[in-house]
Amino acid sequence: MLKTEELQINIGPQHPSTHGVFRMLVTVDGETLVDLKPVFGYLHRNHEQLGEVNTYLQNMPFTDRLDYFNSMVNNHAYARAVETLAGVEVPERAQYIRVIMDELSRILNHATAMGFMLGDMGAWQTALLWGMREREKILDMFEYVSGARMMCNYCRFGGVVRDIDDWFITELKKLMQGLPHYFDDFEGLLLNSEILLARARNIGVLPKELALAYSVTGPVLRGSGVAYDIRKAEPYAVYDRFKFKVPVGTVGDVYDRFLVRIAEMRESYKILEQAIEQLPDATGGFINPKVKQQSLKAPAGEAYARVESPKGELGFYLVSDGSGSAYRYKVRAPSFINLSSLADMCKGYSIADVVVILGSIDIVMGEVDR
Amino acid sequence: MADALTQLGFASWLSVLIASIIKVTLILVGGSVGMMFLTWYERRAISYMQDRRGPNRVGPQGLLQPISEAIKTMTKEDATPREADRIVHFLAPVVMLGATVLSFAVIPWGRMFPVDLNAAVLFVIATGGLHSIGMMMAGWGSNNKFALLGGMRGVAQLISYEIPQVMAIIPVVLMTGSMSLQKIVEAQNDFGGLGWFVFSPVGLLGFALFFTASLAEGERTPFDIPEADSEIIAGYMTEYSGMKFAVFYLSNYMSNLAVCFITATLYLGGGNGPGVDALGGFAGGLLSLIYFLLKSFALFFIMVLIRATVPRLRVDQLMGFAWKFLLPLVLVNILSASFWVALLRWDQQWPQLTEWFGAPSTADATNWGRLAIAVVLTLLINAGAVALIMRLTNRNVQKHLYTTDEELALGLS
Repeated sequence: MLKTEELQINIGPQHPSTHGVFRMLVTVDGETLVDLKPVFGYLHRNHEQLGEVNTYLQNMPFTDRLDYFNSMVNNHAYARAVETLAGVEVPERAQYIRVIMDELSRILNHATAMGFMLGDMGAWQTALLWGMREREKILDMFEYVSGARMMCNYCRFGGVVRDIDDWFITELKKLMQGLPHYFDDFEGLLLNSEILLARARNIGVLPKELALAYSVTGPVLRGSGVAYDIRKAEPYAVYDRFKFKVPVGTVGDVYDRFLVRIAEMRESYKILEQAIEQLPDATGGFINPKVKQQSLKAPAGEAYARVESPKGELGFYLVSDGSGSAYRYKVRAPSFINLSSLADMCKGYSIADVVVILGSIDIVMGEVDR
Repeated sequence: MADALTQLGFASWLSVLIASIIKVTLILVGGSVGMMFLTWYERRAISYMQDRRGPNRVGPQGLLQPISEAIKTMTKEDATPREADRIVHFLAPVVMLGATVLSFAVIPWGRMFPVDLNAAVLFVIATGGLHSIGMMMAGWGSNNKFALLGGMRGVAQLISYEIPQVMAIIPVVLMTGSMSLQKIVEAQNDFGGLGWFVFSPVGLLGFALFFTASLAEGERTPFDIPEADSEIIAGYMTEYSGMKFAVFYLSNYMSNLAVCFITATLYLGGGNGPGVDALGGFAGGLLSLIYFLLKSFALFFIMVLIRATVPRLRVDQLMGFAWKFLLPLVLVNILSASFWVALLRWDQQWPQLTEWFGAPSTADATNWGRLAIAVVLTLLINAGAVALIMRLTNRNVQKHLYTTDEELALGLS
């Protein structure tokens, strides 16, 4: 046998395909990866400490900056945590509005995430820009209701900050007319492409047991064949009123995650259709008027609330000592926990696969480093 | 042109010199300007595929964008890394561009041949091979891990793909009996200018194989491994900036253009087309030039379309594709090409056989009959080979691999 020498390479923190300031300390034997050590913390900004200094409402805009693709979902999860802690009722219309925003977020997140992954594979941005096109339309809707495209700051304790009107519903229906075409185009572009199959099939396999051991959630877990979705396992908001399926992969490779995400976009579309149909009229209000938003005080105790964010289980854990701000504030960020399985997914594959596997996990560094 | 100058009263050596200088200038300027607008063409085409507008601000429809970019790259700082091998670092882009420009010398521009070389095919292949030297020089001279990796990958790729590329041309040489590009174009002038090789089974497979291998030679998607930006930044170009970078870019696009020209010449009949012979003279030459450019740009459009669509292969898959897929098919194509030639030129090629079995008489097998037999035979061989190799290398494509939670509950997984 020829003796080969192992080489240590730094991928990142400044690298085109690390999706932010993320560093991978990679040990390679030729092109084959022997070991991978993820190094992060470059974007640390004291999020959890800030959450203990701010009042409950002041912290709402900070949650936008966690996973900046899905600020609507982050707001929802945080609002749910505080509502559980303070025992606040949420009007039904607000629940529906939150669900609509969550599912729109899911579509835009999956569209861009899959586009970025294909970009890492070398598909020259077409898939990405088609996703961006749909995302732009959704962001326009977000801007209309909340005033901001990405940092929405939309949820309040006991509801949402502004009601949606008829114009929004009409525009949403118009937007949704185009979505199935996008799904079909996106699938038709590359789904059965020989090159995509060669690059994604049996690459980055995460077996079911390992995924559970790492407590991976979201499309990564479902790609590994576990039908776990918080919308079904512990229905929050009004998710128990919708009919939708949870797509599950078979092998747990990059391709399965890709398929699961495309299928999830289609399921989100179904949920949106049902939510628009069932949306109660404005008589019930869109926010609980009894809640004092500015000076909300929660009774001493603790609460954990979680939602199915597009990336996985997003949970907020709050401990209150009865004052106006949290005594302890902890975020269970899906990107961070999914990222911890990266080393095991990558071992034995080549360097070119590592960037694709990283793309298939779909991380946002704002959420990994808090 | 030289004759016209001599008639004007120039000495014969002077007229030859002037004519050559004019031709060389035209090719060099035409090549670089053509390349500049090629980048514009590619960017606009990809933009429309991606639902955006692309460059449309500088000049009408953004046509002057490449010029503004040329000025920009020229005014940029030209940095050389401190630890780099300065001479090699400087020479690498020169070698790359030189090799590319050389191949332009033998391209038949329609019926306007700058140089008619009797081994033009070999010449084109040889100049293509020079690229690997420039790439390795750039990778080595930059003294950068990523550049070296990119250079090594590039050389490995060029060497692997040159073999199927060269062997894909052999059927054409067999069918023509010559290596001169001019003769090859002439051989495709039957059927009123439409007897292109691509319309025969041998030529069709050869065209597909040659074009695929040429994509890899020109480092185009899906074979753009040496510049895989998500893996190795910009490959061997990592440490280049300013005009040196622009020269790499220029050489890249010019070699892509050259590949399109060569493919159009070898398989799409060069400047042949309906009406060229009928017009004749200068008008016919002009029409043939238009045909030739149209064919070449159509080929370039296919390259752009591929770039906008597919991801790139991994480096080992790339090598596997060359050696396990392209090479066997190329060999089969040579076999069927020899059947083709034997059947159509029974009497010319194998006089011994005519002695033994008698001359193919036109009474029982006309040219059309023999053509039909040749088409069917080669089609069977080629289609069979393609089907067999596809089957051997196929990765069981299934639709809808995912199940859903409801199906899991029903025990369907």
